[in-house]
This record gives sequence, C-alpha cells and structure tokens, in this order.
Amino acid sequence: MELDPHVLHVAMRWLHVAAMATAFGGAISVLALSARPGVTSSSAIVAVAVRYEWLFWGAAGVLAMTGIGNLAAFGAALLGPATSWGATLLLKLGSVLGLVVLSLPRSLAVARIDASIGANAQASVAVLRNLYGATTGAFGVLLALAVWLAHG
Amino acid sequence: MKLVTWSLATFHATAFVLAIVLFAYSRGALGAGLSGLNTFVGLGLFVALWATTYFTTSRALRGLDLIGSARDRDGYVRRTFRWGAANGMSFLVILGIVAIGSAIENTQPGQVGAGILFPALVIAPVALAVSAAVGGAVGALFGIVDLALFSLAGLGEGPAGPTV
Repeated sequence: MELDPHVLHVAMRWLHVAAMATAFGGAISVLALSARPGVTSSSAIVAVAVRYEWLFWGAAGVLAMTGIGNLAAFGAALLGPATSWGATLLLKLGSVLGLVVLSLPRSLAVARIDASIGANAQASVAVLRNLYGATTGAFGVLLALAVWLAHG
Repeated sequence: MKLVTWSLATFHATAFVLAIVLFAYSRGALGAGLSGLNTFVGLGLFVALWATTYFTTSRALRGLDLIGSARDRDGYVRRTFRWGAANGMSFLVILGIVAIGSAIENTQPGQVGAGILFPALVIAPVALAVSAAVGGAVGALFGIVDLALFSLAGLGEGPAGPTV
C-alpha cells in the first residue's frame, strides 16, 4: 500500500512542531521553576531539570530528523542560499547547530549539579536559572526564524 | 541508560547531520541531494545513525566517569577515535544493506549475482576501511569538541559524585 506523501509530510510537520513544543515549553517550565527558588525545593528543581535534559535530547534528534524531512519535501524547488529566504534558512540552520553544541555543556552542568546538589543548593538553582534563561531565549529566536520561513 | 551517554550520543548524531546539511545548503547542493532520497529511507537512515551512535558512544563511555574523574577524561579521545571507527563501519553496513536491497529490487533475478552481489563483495573491504578512517577521524574530532564543552560545563579537576 502506497502512503500519500502529503499525509507523510503533514505527520512530519506535526512531529516537528510537537518536538519544538516539548523542548521550548520544557525550557520555559524549568526557567519558571528556578526563578522562584523559595517556593520549590532546590533538589526538586534539579530533578525536573534532569528530566528535561532527557526530553530535550530526544526532541533535538526528532527536530533534526523531521526538519531535514521538511526540507526534502521542497525537493529541487528548495530556494538557494543567495535568496532572502535561503539566507534566513542558513541563519536558522546555523542557530540550531549552535544551540545543539551549547546544549551539551548545559546537560553536563545539570548532571554535575545533580551529583553534588547538597553542596550549594541556592547557587545551583541560580546557575540553572541562567542556563534555562539562555536556552529559552535561543528557542525564542529559532521560533521567530521558523515563523518567518513559514509565513514571511 | 545514563543522561551523559544519551546527551553525548544524540549531540554527536544531530551535530554531525546538521553540519553536513548546513555545508550542503551553503553550496546549493541540498535540494538536489534530498530530492533523490525517499522520505522513509531518509528518516530510517537518520534513526539508524542515531542508534549506531548511541551504541558506540555507550561502549566508548563504558567504565568512564566523565563527570567525576579528570583522569577518565584524559583517555576519552582515544576511545572516541576507536568507537567512531566502529560507528562508521556499522552505519556503512546498514547503508550497504539498504543500497543492495534497493538494487536487487530493481534488477532482474538472473543478473543479481554478477551485477550486484559480486561488485558489492569486491567494494566492501575498501568501503569498510574508508568508513573506519572517516568514522575514526569524526569520532576523534567530536572527542576534542566534547572535552572543550566539558570544560565549558565547569568540569575541571574538582571531585564530584557518580555520573547520572
């Protein structure tokens, strides 16, 4: 049985958006938790951050896979890098690569904090707040670029 | 399954593919390259690369505590070279199976032996050697990048608890 390519591409876009929502929404959630350290205990915030890191890398893999699939849907009609759309895509791809590269030290820092949470809990939460603030900002930029590429 | 292994493996697979896509697109070669690739095959190959990278990364990290031990981080690049080579060969085997399967499907039964299987057997040792060399080089490069990112994460000489 042949699968309609349009159905496949819609499913891929849906998966792409769902992975982005998971990664972006998760970062906002950890940022919101770490912005109010007095309300939630530090160890609970770190535990949520560790869970988020598992989800983030799963979402990153799915985003890369479906993102390339979305580009493949354009086929030979994909606009070149010399066009305005192409320059924005180039910027987006570079930003995604930058986010992926800089997310590894964030994950490692979360793992390190989790291994030594008793040492200085308040300082650890402040580090998490900065890390997830930067991650949220980076996702915001990527989302703006994605919206521009889709509708600009 | 550990967070560090999952993070490193997915980082390697996604950064590698994204770097290739970025390079190909900047040269104007991405559209033509992707248009000749079946969507299911493309998705399957990415998942295969992700899986082989996870397997080889977990083997490279076996017995190492990268978060807690600076000494363990010292021997890391040697391991990424060795297991990068293994990853290159593993992915080539999967790629070869897909390519041979696809070629057999589009070939008359009488021509499969001489037209596909024999050339594949001749090419296989050279292709495996090249894939091992490329995989090893990419693995070592990622090992060096990883160490720089470990430093950025504040993983210096200080002691820490067991890896998550």
